[in-house]
Amino acid sequence: MSDTRTVKTTCKGCHGGCGVLVTVEDGRITHIEGNPDTPTWGTMCSKGLSSIQHVNHPDRLKYPLKRTGKRGEGKWQRISWDEALDTIAGKMKEAREKYGASSIAVSQGTGRGYNRYTHRFARSVGTANIITPGYVCHSPRIGLYGLVTGYGRLYCDYHGWGGEFPKTQISWAKQLEISSADSEMAVWFLNSLKYVKNLIVIDPRETALSSRATLWLQIRPGTDAALALGMINVIVNEGLWDKEFVGKWTYGFERLKERAREYTPARVAEITWLKEEDIVKAARLFAEDTPGCIQVGSSLERQANCGQTLRAIICLLGVTGNIERPGSMMSWMVPPSGLLEDFFFEIPITDDMRKGIVGSSDFKMGAARTAHADSVIKQLRNGNPVVRVWFSVGGQQIVHLANTKEVLEALSKLEFLAHADQFMGPMAEHADIVLPAAHFLEIDDIYNMHPRFMIEAINKVVEPPGEAWADAKIFNELGKRVAPEYWFENVEKMLDYQVRKANLTWKEFSKLGVLATMGKDQVYYKYKTDYWKKGGGFPTPTGKFELYSTVLEDLGYDPLPHFREPGESPVSTPELYKEYPLVLSTGYRQPFYFLSQYRNIPWLRSFQKDPVMQIHPDTARKYGIEDGDWAWIESPRGRIRQKARLFPGIHPGVVMATANCFYPEDPGPLHGMLRSNPNVLTSNDHFDPMYGSPDLTALLCKVYRAPDGK
Amino acid sequence: MVVDLTRCVRCYACVAACRVEHFLPMGMSWPKLVALETGAEHPIVSTYSVRCNQCQEAPCVDVCPTGASQKRPDGIISVDQDICVGCRYCVIACPYQNRTFLSRDKDKGFFPGQIVTGFEQAGREQYPHEVGTTEKCNFCAERIDAGMAQGGKPGIDRAATPACVNTCPARALTFGDLDDPASEVSRLILDKGGFQLHPEYGTDPSVYFIDGRIGQWYVPGKYDGTAQEPAGTGAER
Amino acid sequence: MQIHEWMINYTRQTEWIDRRGIFLWIAFYTGGLGGGLYLVSLYFNSLWGMFLSWLIIAVIKGGAHLIFLGKPLRFWRIVFRPGSSWISRGIIFVLAFTVFAAAQMAFTYWLPGGPGEAVFKVLAGAAALGVAVYTGFVLNTVRGVPFWNSAMLPVLFVLYGIMGGFGLAALIALGGGDVDLAAAETGSRWLLIVNALLAAAYLWMASGRGETGRQSVIEQVRGSMAAVFWTGIVVLGIIIPLVIGFASYFVGEVSAALLVTGVICEVIGGLSLRYCILKAGAYAPLVMVASQPAANT
Ligand SMILES: Nc1nc2c(c(=O)[nH]1)N[C@H]1C(S)=C(S)[C@@H](COP(=O)(O)OP(=O)(O)OC[C@H]3O[C@@H](n4cnc5c(=O)[nH]c(N)nc54)[C@H](O)[C@@H]3O)O[C@H]1N2
Ligand SMILES: Nc1nc2c(c(=O)[nH]1)N[C@H]1C(S)=C(S)[C@@H](COP(=O)(O)OP(=O)(O)OC[C@H]3O[C@@H](n4cnc5c(=O)[nH]c(N)nc54)[C@H](O)[C@@H]3O)O[C@H]1N2
Ligand code: SF4
Ligand code: SF4
Ligand code: SF4
Ligand code: SF4
Ligand code: SF4
Ligand SMILES: [Mo]
Repeated sequence: MSDTRTVKTTCKGCHGGCGVLVTVEDGRITHIEGNPDTPTWGTMCSKGLSSIQHVNHPDRLKYPLKRTGKRGEGKWQRISWDEALDTIAGKMKEAREKYGASSIAVSQGTGRGYNRYTHRFARSVGTANIITPGYVCHSPRIGLYGLVTGYGRLYCDYHGWGGEFPKTQISWAKQLEISSADSEMAVWFLNSLKYVKNLIVIDPRETALSSRATLWLQIRPGTDAALALGMINVIVNEGLWDKEFVGKWTYGFERLKERAREYTPARVAEITWLKEEDIVKAARLFAEDTPGCIQVGSSLERQANCGQTLRAIICLLGVTGNIERPGSMMSWMVPPSGLLEDFFFEIPITDDMRKGIVGSSDFKMGAARTAHADSVIKQLRNGNPVVRVWFSVGGQQIVHLANTKEVLEALSKLEFLAHADQFMGPMAEHADIVLPAAHFLEIDDIYNMHPRFMIEAINKVVEPPGEAWADAKIFNELGKRVAPEYWFENVEKMLDYQVRKANLTWKEFSKLGVLATMGKDQVYYKYKTDYWKKGGGFPTPTGKFELYSTVLEDLGYDPLPHFREPGESPVSTPELYKEYPLVLSTGYRQPFYFLSQYRNIPWLRSFQKDPVMQIHPDTARKYGIEDGDWAWIESPRGRIRQKARLFPGIHPGVVMATANCFYPEDPGPLHGMLRSNPNVLTSNDHFDPMYGSPDLTALLCKVYRAPDGK
Repeated sequence: MVVDLTRCVRCYACVAACRVEHFLPMGMSWPKLVALETGAEHPIVSTYSVRCNQCQEAPCVDVCPTGASQKRPDGIISVDQDICVGCRYCVIACPYQNRTFLSRDKDKGFFPGQIVTGFEQAGREQYPHEVGTTEKCNFCAERIDAGMAQGGKPGIDRAATPACVNTCPARALTFGDLDDPASEVSRLILDKGGFQLHPEYGTDPSVYFIDGRIGQWYVPGKYDGTAQEPAGTGAER
Repeated sequence: MQIHEWMINYTRQTEWIDRRGIFLWIAFYTGGLGGGLYLVSLYFNSLWGMFLSWLIIAVIKGGAHLIFLGKPLRFWRIVFRPGSSWISRGIIFVLAFTVFAAAQMAFTYWLPGGPGEAVFKVLAGAAALGVAVYTGFVLNTVRGVPFWNSAMLPVLFVLYGIMGGFGLAALIALGGGDVDLAAAETGSRWLLIVNALLAAAYLWMASGRGETGRQSVIEQVRGSMAAVFWTGIVVLGIIIPLVIGFASYFVGEVSAALLVTGVICEVIGGLSLRYCILKAGAYAPLVMVASQPAANT
């Protein structure tokens, strides 16, 4: 008889973490579907469902490889894990001795559930030069929430646990409905729309939600700070602010008022290309129809004014009192098993580590605990690098960092690069050693991408191909070689250690599946209680919600939010605008891809073969582009081509390109990356002063037809 | 089935779920998404998640010369792979283009010339697709039959509900019994003005669409007590 | 085809013309031709013609149809649904014709003039008409394709078949067979004129059947099928045969080669007509415009 079993596990095909049920028959996966008894109610997206084609993919990396030809030449030799790890460990020790531990960089891509290993590993070997896309993705939000409220994670309370759903929701530069991004899940958000009265979408593009929303603000990319300040202006002028909250619990309202005075609706309309009355309407809805919350998208963080933009949005939450009340923005309590984040930060940053962080003197917020990636690149190019040896687990920095040509040049100057991945992508192609990583259906691990909501068990379903290892094991085994005092006998012991605060062993947790703090045990209005401070208040220096930020003042930044034009824009570089007359944004996510991933998964590729740029029909006509044509997009850095999709829902002055793409089927080492990846166009010359974020989603370009598309 | 255009976010999950559920060959997709943007100033972005409408007056059944296409007592239009001769008359006759003839080039495998995955092998044993015959969405008849045999109620219990409906993160798809006026589907059609695609063909589709605006049905005070507690929070510990 | 592009525009049917679909096209045309030839042969009482039509229907039409099927070995199942399916009916006509015409020819050959021959002539004639006409009904009843929703279609197909029949009969005459050449030519000529008018009327009426019908017609005369339409149907199928026909009418004798050319052109015209009609059959989009969401109240 056939041997059939169903495994409960957790999908990490994206940031999500959907509970899934996988059926295995005679060692073959025959079915996958959502697990209804989990916080995602048994739903799954196309990416997770297509995992079936992912695990079985013939191109999976199966064995550790050593480069034998020139870097990027594609000549490899299979080696043993011992040889691979010994080599990497040797390089790290050598570099540590020769240049100091900060010469080792440890990198990851967007969160894949092993972030805590990345950070722990780096610190364990003595470096804080951790390279992550955090500075363009989620970290600025967390950091600035922390600065203003004293507490780092604010999420929309759209669960109704406090007896109330948000009445007004703003979806600001976010497609949560398909991205399940940043600790939030599409299902929760979509469910809450049943109870919403006003949905306001702020996006240069029309989306499924915006076309049925109460209000859609078709903003010029990169001008969101002006809009937020304009809304505060209206709220102040019309006396709509939350008198009680602002009066009692905030710091610096008068000065914010003064700052906001500069942003009259008329001026903001001019900056943002919005209608004055829409700005006023949005402000009134948000201030009057409370409770409300704002979904902040990472497009705002991929801009060189990201810090102040977020500051402005947080102030908007503050003046409307949309904080800590049911149905507004909430700081969730950590689950009792909150131990997992200790694992992350357990090893403290020493002064040496801090001093060695690349970019820390320039970007005091962003490069406080991790490196500034673009500065690492610039140093390498200029020949005065701190970083010499780079250990990369997941992540395609080569694709995702601004100004690809410079990134390529920089990587070629590295002394040593090791990369762990599931496929031979451009980053692996440039490595000296490539390590095969296992897929989530092939590993045992703890998933904590939503630490405030749920901690989940990833349970192994099938064996990995060849000799592929779980990332946890890769970190642990390498850790044992370089910094044995911080690492464990085996992965199971390491997992036991992580869940021990919950009085569980890994085996027990694995059966339990989910640990969550959801529902009844939330504490609202924490600032009115002794939760953070005796007698009430926020855990900030002033004990208040800091509309005027004393911390930023100390760091030498503007303590009040302001708007600054993107590095390249119709206003900041009018001369350039004459030659490049369109605003280019590269943000938007595709529901069936995850950044550059999954273009090699046949089911997912069938949904969209080529990267698509959205362009307004009138604009397209002007440049002789028809629907489905290949079109060149050019900036001062270079040009790429994508398939034009004529879309009346995009602003005629804006072009939206698909980000993070290459063609896995094309020959290495670049796999056609230079052909269509928008970072060939982006600039690494303008950075957010606090976080060092480059303008990935707001720059200038011109477009024209690419006659043959070849 | 009722498809809510207000809720669908064009995520493609329904399409993928069907492919998994039925081991669909690469060249075949039973459900499809019709992506539409209309209007110039403030265009409306809509996504019609379409699949076989299980028409009450199904032309595909009428034209089938072999009797392979049949209407089951519960209204589901089924195709018997063992009888179908692959004449494609039904493909031509379905005005909604919901049928696909499985030709050899549509069944090349996931990774042609490289490997046959375990999933595909299992599919050949458990859910064979005969090249040379015609297929379409069957409202997950096998799943529903098995689920109902265990006492499940279609549209309520997952085991008796189509895969695409179960997976939809937006809850844009609702399944149930159209003949039961108390069912969720009947209520939605009535309350929100359900419409069929091309009713003028006289096919009487069993799939309805509804549309509206977000916030349109906002009822103040409706909140209290209706908050949904996610299952499996581990709170029992 | 990326699936989200499905049916937002006029979507051409492809199963019955593209790739392996060409066999169906050949089957449909040869059905009309064979049926027409049989009827013409009855008129001339031409055993050669009958035999040729039998070959065309039983071998070419039947064979092409068989090759077209996804599961040819199951072909016999096709006959089970004559109550509602025109394909069932068509195959029954084909089978009936094959049997009746064979019997009729046997009678004609061995027992000419008897009641058997007469009975089978009527039976086979009816079946031949069925074979020629049913493909028109097959298309005409497809509700989703406005271009085909015309009662003229069966008539057009039959008349084109008969015209081809006259053409082939003329060839038989030329080859010294049992047909009157002049009569065959006259029939052919008249039908050419009638068919040209009919085809024009058909297109004109189809263009009135909604946006999709109009689109199909535009595709034919100006779009991707324009080449086939103008050279195949108009020039080769109508003008050249007409010129040759009138030449032989007014000038008298024309060379056999020219006559053969004319007939070949007619056949190409007939094939082109079917081709275009199949190829241009397009479905109305699933949804024309998004339903306008009701105003927010
Ligand atoms: N122009 C522009 N640039 C951008 C953005 C943009 O919008 N526009 N977005 C930015 C943002 S927000 C981000 S987060 C970055 C994203 O950048 P990355 O995270 O670098 O994105 P990916 O291209 O998905 O690269 C991930 C790699 O990790 C591998 N991988 C996946 N899962 C695992 C695993 O479990 N283990 C291991 N070892 N490897 C795995 C994949 O195969 C892939 O090669 O890009 C940034 N860059
Ligand atoms: N399916 C899928 N899910 C994903 C990802 C993926 O690639 N695919 N990537 C993951 C990652 S790493 C991240 S960071 C998140 C990101 O996910 P989200 O934060 O949800 O955001 P995006 O889809 O990148 O972009 C959101 C919207 O911002 C708009 N936008 C662009 N520029 C501007 C601007 O200047 N102002 C305003 N107001 N809007 C602008 C775009 O049009 C887009 O609709 O998604 C994660 N989830
Ligand atoms: S949303 Fe993310 S976690 Fe959930 S199924 Fe999709 S890929 Fe997996
Ligand atoms: S939608 Fe098409 S295939 Fe389905 S029942 Fe109706 S006519 Fe038949
Ligand atoms: S293709 Fe099969 S199901 Fe369709 S009409 Fe022909 S025999 Fe019937
Ligand atoms: S109802 Fe079942 S068969 Fe039909 S589209 Fe949905 S998943 Fe596929
Ligand atoms: S799964 Fe739901 S939301 Fe996603 S495309 Fe299908 S119907 Fe739309
Ligand atoms: Mo990200």
